[in-house]
Amino acid sequence: MRWPLRIVPRHALGRWPRAGIALAAIALALLLGALFLWAAGIDPVAAYAAIGRAAFWGGAYALSDTAVKATPLILCGLGCALAFRMRLWNVGAEGQLLLGAWAASGVASFWLPAATPRPLMLAAMALAALLAGGSYAALAGWLKARLNVSEILSTLMLVYVATHFNNFWIFGPWSQSGFPLTPQFPPAAQLWRLSDAAAQVPALGGIGLHAGFALALLTAAICWWSLRQTRLGLAIDAVGDNAATARSVGIDVGRTTVLVLALSGACAGLAGMVEVSGVVLRLQERFSPGYGFTAIIVAWLARLHPALVVVVALLFGGLLVGCREVQPAGIAMLLQGTLLFVVVGSEFFVRYRLRWCGWRAHE
Amino acid sequence: MIVTSPAHASPVPGAVAPAVELCGISKRFGETLALDGASFAVQRGQIAALLGENGAGKTTLMQILAGVQAADSGELRLAGQRVELASPRQAIARGVGMVHQHFQLVPTLTVAENILLGAPRPRFLLGRQPLHVEIAALGQRLQLPVDPAARVAELSVGERQRVELLKALWRGARVLILDEPTAVLGPLELGPFFRALRALAASGTAVVLITHKLTEVLAAADVVTVLRRGRTVARDLPIASVDGDRLGRLILGSEETAAATGEAAAAPMTPPAPALAASAPLLRLRRVSAIGQRGERALDDVDLEVWAGEIVGVAGVSGNGQRELAQVIVGLRPALAGRIALAGQEITRLPVRERLARGLGYVPEDRLGDGIAPALSVQHNLALGLFRQPRAPWLLPWRALAQRSAELVAEHDVRLQSLAQAAGQLSGGNVQKLILAREIDARPRLLIAAQPTRGLDLGATAAVRERLCRLAAGGCGVLLISEDLDEILALAQRVVVLFRGRVAGTIDRAAASAEAIGKLMLGRTADLAAAEPV
Amino acid sequence: MPVLEKRRCPRPRWLLLAASGALLLAGCKRPPAQTAGGAAAPTPGSTPAAPIAAAAGSAIPAPIAGKFNVAFVYIGPVGDGGWTYAHDQGRQQLEKLVPDVHTAYVESVAEGADAAQVIRGLARKGFQLIVTTSFGYMDATEQVAREFPGTKFVHVSGFKSNGSNFGNLFGAMESMKYLAGMIAGARAKADGRPRVGYIAPFPIAEVIRLGNALALGVRASCPECTLTVRWIHTWFDPAREKEAAESLLADGAGVVVTGADSTGPLVAAAERGRWGIGYDSANACQASPARCLTTPYWNWGAIYADLVKQIQAGTWRGGNDYRDVDSGIVGLAGFMEGEQPAPGVPAEVVPEVRAVLDRMRAGTFTRFDLFKGPLKNNQGALVLAAGQVLTQEDLEGIRGIAGRRDCAICMNWLVEGVSGELPKQ
Repeated sequence: MRWPLRIVPRHALGRWPRAGIALAAIALALLLGALFLWAAGIDPVAAYAAIGRAAFWGGAYALSDTAVKATPLILCGLGCALAFRMRLWNVGAEGQLLLGAWAASGVASFWLPAATPRPLMLAAMALAALLAGGSYAALAGWLKARLNVSEILSTLMLVYVATHFNNFWIFGPWSQSGFPLTPQFPPAAQLWRLSDAAAQVPALGGIGLHAGFALALLTAAICWWSLRQTRLGLAIDAVGDNAATARSVGIDVGRTTVLVLALSGACAGLAGMVEVSGVVLRLQERFSPGYGFTAIIVAWLARLHPALVVVVALLFGGLLVGCREVQPAGIAMLLQGTLLFVVVGSEFFVRYRLRWCGWRAHE
Repeated sequence: MIVTSPAHASPVPGAVAPAVELCGISKRFGETLALDGASFAVQRGQIAALLGENGAGKTTLMQILAGVQAADSGELRLAGQRVELASPRQAIARGVGMVHQHFQLVPTLTVAENILLGAPRPRFLLGRQPLHVEIAALGQRLQLPVDPAARVAELSVGERQRVELLKALWRGARVLILDEPTAVLGPLELGPFFRALRALAASGTAVVLITHKLTEVLAAADVVTVLRRGRTVARDLPIASVDGDRLGRLILGSEETAAATGEAAAAPMTPPAPALAASAPLLRLRRVSAIGQRGERALDDVDLEVWAGEIVGVAGVSGNGQRELAQVIVGLRPALAGRIALAGQEITRLPVRERLARGLGYVPEDRLGDGIAPALSVQHNLALGLFRQPRAPWLLPWRALAQRSAELVAEHDVRLQSLAQAAGQLSGGNVQKLILAREIDARPRLLIAAQPTRGLDLGATAAVRERLCRLAAGGCGVLLISEDLDEILALAQRVVVLFRGRVAGTIDRAAASAEAIGKLMLGRTADLAAAEPV
Repeated sequence: MPVLEKRRCPRPRWLLLAASGALLLAGCKRPPAQTAGGAAAPTPGSTPAAPIAAAAGSAIPAPIAGKFNVAFVYIGPVGDGGWTYAHDQGRQQLEKLVPDVHTAYVESVAEGADAAQVIRGLARKGFQLIVTTSFGYMDATEQVAREFPGTKFVHVSGFKSNGSNFGNLFGAMESMKYLAGMIAGARAKADGRPRVGYIAPFPIAEVIRLGNALALGVRASCPECTLTVRWIHTWFDPAREKEAAESLLADGAGVVVTGADSTGPLVAAAERGRWGIGYDSANACQASPARCLTTPYWNWGAIYADLVKQIQAGTWRGGNDYRDVDSGIVGLAGFMEGEQPAPGVPAEVVPEVRAVLDRMRAGTFTRFDLFKGPLKNNQGALVLAAGQVLTQEDLEGIRGIAGRRDCAICMNWLVEGVSGELPKQ
């Protein structure tokens, strides 16, 4: 007897069948998740309702929380997508985010006077974060271009270096009286938030949505436009598709590698700035729960497309926000894991289909 | 109408069943009907040629026989027994082996490992040494010499071909399908190769030869089957009963035959004499050496000149430094020693982009691997020509690019559905035309064309050759690196023969003959009167 | 010519259905798990129809009308066996100690954007008291407290408060570390290995304070002993903590005391046949019962009960709530009512420890009595003159924080007998 199911490659699928597969996968994942919830003694309907309410349809708070959570995911996801399009596996967005946050904090609390005008201060912080994150990733790019060091390893290892580098400053020279955090940023170094206007519009009280979200959308638009319209965008896609061809038409693959990793890191660095300046308002230990790593999944699910990065980051951010409603957190993580596994696994059905060929003896 | 030879029209009762018989095979890929009731047969001990233009369905038909593709409908018989081959593994188990045009080797493994990978014997990779000896002996016996310990990544295309052949034979193939096997073999390798095939056939193997080259069919095959647009237009014609003209008509269909019949594509096309008035050659290599993939000295003291308006052919058996020569000139491989000058200016240390900017054009040997970005659109692939411009715009002028692309596609007769189509979906000939369009649009002063017509059908081959001649006529220098001696003899004014990375000799067109070049390709220089001292 | 029929295979839709059906059946057979993290059995009042209300099991945190609702925000999972576990034990005790209290928790909450969102979400749901149990939640708690003046917020281990609905809470763990030091010193002396190792997370005032107290305890029972410090720069990393312990043991330490949250060092010490002292939760010694001397631990339940009672009575104001041993906020495993010291504790030191502990619990030997002059730092300089004591700000290393006086002798020095240096600030 032989296994009656055959795996048959599929020809290129259109946009709508693909979307259909994705939706079916989400539906299946929700069904599986419901079983887990039920087994854990939680009413799945109530749980999904609570998740949805906390993340999406629970009013302005919910949407604001989701957008705030999505902001660093968008920026890091864009960074990852840029690099991944060129088949540069920058898995160290987390480290670039940390360095970006570090540089922005330095500008905010130590290198510029607190009386600096707000736009100038914020611009300086953003610039510092772009440079810090960018040059940090460019280091990995240089190692790759010059010495052929795998960027997967170098960017990942540099995450640990960045963590300890930040901790050194947080616990050491920048520590507020020995506690593991820097002094709070002066008002000029804080991004505009909707809740700032709560005095005039009471309804905005507690709405933490900050200007960083707009910045993330703007960055996504710039990435999207640049990939389509600029020479660099063409070079990225060409190298990503076939580096040998790129080389033989005169693209300097080494230089493009360094440049694209720098841009990728700059996006992640900006995420760090946005996070400390819009949410945490100072540099402190463990302020990022691993946005840079989550962004890898976001970029993949978005098929490395900047506009889809925004969509996926918002959905994913909503999932993370909403899943906090389910306790203990292990069940929520199980739910997230199931969802991811099924959605990523459904990619298989984009490329292959199953064919039933009946149980028959091997002829 | 199906032209059928009476002897093979239908199985005569009592006659031996054919080793392979395919009947009424249809196969659809999305919108395209690749095969439309095609049929084919080959007897044991026979060499059957399968002819047809690119896209006629030859490869698909044979992939069905090899279990790579499943037919939508139709019947497959092996030695008279109806079977269904659901996978290459099943096909191999039944003695059907296929050597694909695009090699299916694991580059990081050695030759021996590739041959043994998934093979029924040995069960365990123990005792490498005896297996190496056995493989080497098999190679020797079949005149397909290989080094079992070499890594496939380091082999030339021709050497890889040999590994593919050995791989199929090692698995005990009784039906051997060869997809364009001679495309990668040098002219002097052809004789032994066909002798090896003949020997295989004599031992009872059924050999299927998929090819474009009519001369080879006429020389090597016993019978020929012709496919056109997924249908069998002629089946099992004994080779004695046909000639080149007739086959050409069958392949192209009667209306097109006048344009390109038989070996018309290889007919001499004489470019104008080079402008000897020019003071310096366009390209000059002085004592250039380079290291190859395996760390060997792939180029050794090569001197070479190409003058404006001249086509210089580089001949040689595959793996004698042709690939490295192109790469060194373009800048993809560093020169270990020596100097390269383009139009009098030294370019030895310049990056690729600078060289292209100074007027180099490059049509690489591996057109899918080095020539296009297959997942990107035709439009994007044409836009890749921008990168060589000294002041390439930062913003891509898509509107102008689209207009220019449409012109180029029309001018070079690239057949496609739209400019937005992925370049990798084009057929081999159209990919080559696309690359040529891109390179020629950059107005090169010197074009390096490596194996520009390998694997192309008659129409595309003729178009590419004509394009090269026109370029030369317009004053461009062309360095034509080819393992197709007919092509070199048809196009080149001078022929440079490479042997083991050295220039074995340079022969003027007037003195050139296939025989003289063939001897040089084997490294016999001294006794040739026509060879110029280098 | 016989033509094969088109072998179009039916898509296996039914397979999917069958698979999901099987899963559904599996789900049916399994009784719903009600408990997690070793929590108590479900309260009899909770009906199966409303699993959301299950207090201790898996649930969606929500307040219950008519009860006093308390929510806890945790940095780790409740099953971490350390810091968060101790808080969750306190939460469960609170429910038993005070009638009509309903509690809920959100675990593994990151300290960045998540903290404020989670805390705000709980406040919006209507919890009356929200306890946030990680230092990094400080700003977020303060911010949400400002938005919800009707809700009470208690932040554990920080230094901020607002005088009304937001206060901080911490306790004199240093006193227990001092007692643990006495035990460690006695053990080291008895074994003839006059060296005690201390695994210190970060060079911040809290950790330095605890380390100094430990060293003073060691020197009290073994004047010739020294304390070796390993800075591991993490609060919770079992592998790294164990590694640090192994390095200390290789260095000749007879007893390893951990200041981090896992029990890795206890295991490492046991593997070497030496001694370990745990941290955080009363049952840390269960990791290696034979080779664990004691564990200074947090006892949050009584304190939470006290806070709730104060809030219900209307007497609570958010301030700096730093409790000493007499409040019951800290404990020492093996030395509380009805407990026997672990077999490894040298008999001669037991009465001494009990005596000091009794004075501590009576309030006659406080944290200020621990750091009493004359005291030298480990460079040999006199830091505290005879009879001089430290202030609360000195102990916490408070400096440059609005509403607090600056420390005069800030907690950034190591007492005599500690080998090692503080990273420069």
